[in-house]
Amino acid sequence: MNAIEELAAELKVNDVSTDASGVKWFTTGNLNLRELVPILRRTGARFVTITATELPLNQGFCLEYLWDLNGQLLGFPFYPSANTIPSIYDLCEAADWIEREIHEEYSIDFSGRAYEPLLLRENEHPGVNLHEVAK
Amino acid sequence: MSYKLPMGPYHPGLEEPYKLEMICEGETISDAKLHIGFNFRGIEHLAETRNYIQLIALMERVCGICSFIHTLTLCQALEKLTALDPPPRALYIRVIMAELERLHSHVLWAGIAAKLMGFKTLFMACFAYREKVMDMLQVISGNRVNYSMNRIGGVNRDIEDANTILNMVNLLEKEIARELVPVFTSSYTARLRCAGIGILTREKALSCGVVGPTARASGIPQDLRRDAPYAAYAELEFEVPVETSGDVRARLLVRAYEILESCKIIRQAIEKLPHGEIARSESKYGFVTGTAISRVEAPRGEVVYIVSWKENSRTPSRVHVRTPTYVNMPAVRWMVQGARVADAPLIQASIDPCYSCTDR
Repeated sequence: MNAIEELAAELKVNDVSTDASGVKWFTTGNLNLRELVPILRRTGARFVTITATELPLNQGFCLEYLWDLNGQLLGFPFYPSANTIPSIYDLCEAADWIEREIHEEYSIDFSGRAYEPLLLRENEHPGVNLHEVAK
Repeated sequence: MSYKLPMGPYHPGLEEPYKLEMICEGETISDAKLHIGFNFRGIEHLAETRNYIQLIALMERVCGICSFIHTLTLCQALEKLTALDPPPRALYIRVIMAELERLHSHVLWAGIAAKLMGFKTLFMACFAYREKVMDMLQVISGNRVNYSMNRIGGVNRDIEDANTILNMVNLLEKEIARELVPVFTSSYTARLRCAGIGILTREKALSCGVVGPTARASGIPQDLRRDAPYAAYAELEFEVPVETSGDVRARLLVRAYEILESCKIIRQAIEKLPHGEIARSESKYGFVTGTAISRVEAPRGEVVYIVSWKENSRTPSRVHVRTPTYVNMPAVRWMVQGARVADAPLIQASIDPCYSCTDR
């Protein structure tokens, strides 16, 4: 059993798919984001980034959490409810700046943490990258 | 009594604007806060309004030093979305350009580090080496900064006289091995100014998720060229230098050894350069709906591009860029804790920060 299969077994995820980029995508239906992070860190995985994507037809957002395990990228898509998702900053300090940036660009709230401005200047408001704001 | 001491956003010790707000007890820094965003250009959002030709030109401008790396990473992602594999010769040319850019970046950084150490003669020598690297980049691409080399499915320009490039690399390697590397590895001044300062422990480096020479200087042997090879790296032999002390000197040594490894890679790539075309001949590209992720080991560490495209769309629906300085910068807070104020410029420079990349 390789490291990916062991991880899938520990996470109780049956469906791991590989895309054209070679990224292993884990279905996250039953996964708890904050329970996932300590498991990934214990396996030696390195946090890479979070990509926020605005879904069409006002369906909200998809947040794709990317981790690296021995050169293999692992992807975990999460869909925030009411534009809110738990912060993982206290579990993984590498996520600090990207959570702050996504908050400022897409107005998504990472619950359980405080923000300091990262990119925004005085009198600016979160949401600078939202399509409706840009129009 | 503690006091706040701001460095930046505009400061002679900084190459680009950012702010390091230090909390000091006398001459010792007890903590620091970092403020970025002074170069924010909204490039990720702009990218959503550009077609694939404009997109390559736009992303080449994310960073002045790593302009080739950014288009390489982008084009690798676009090639996954168009199912176009570059021909073997293009893959080798990409390696040669990427390593020349690493040489250029490391030598430029060495010059800046030397200036901050108070070693002005070495600063001048480093910029003389850098000119030679830029000459090579100009011979290949016709340009000195934004090279316009990458395209979907290959590269735009061939290496017509490989022997000239090989001779230039051999000459540069000899000069750097004879003059620059010994200064960094054994000079009293470099050791005195760099050893034992700005320490980032292995545990903290893992916690911060740092990448590139910053990680390798803290004992983390990660390098995408070896761990997740792209272009033609899987066919080339090279070492990944790792140091364990995590101080400024370790970051200096890692880069000095990487300069020699880059010369070794370029020489192998030129000797193995296959014959044939340099790009696929398609004049139009068919994008499939989906997201592609591409990673490249830039001089400062891992660059990640996440590109989403919808079939029949002229423009991407999302382009996310994760640059190496973006993850290395927060570690500066831990590096400066306990350091002297006078060492702060050198410590923050030791990660080779790029604020244009960071802010995008």
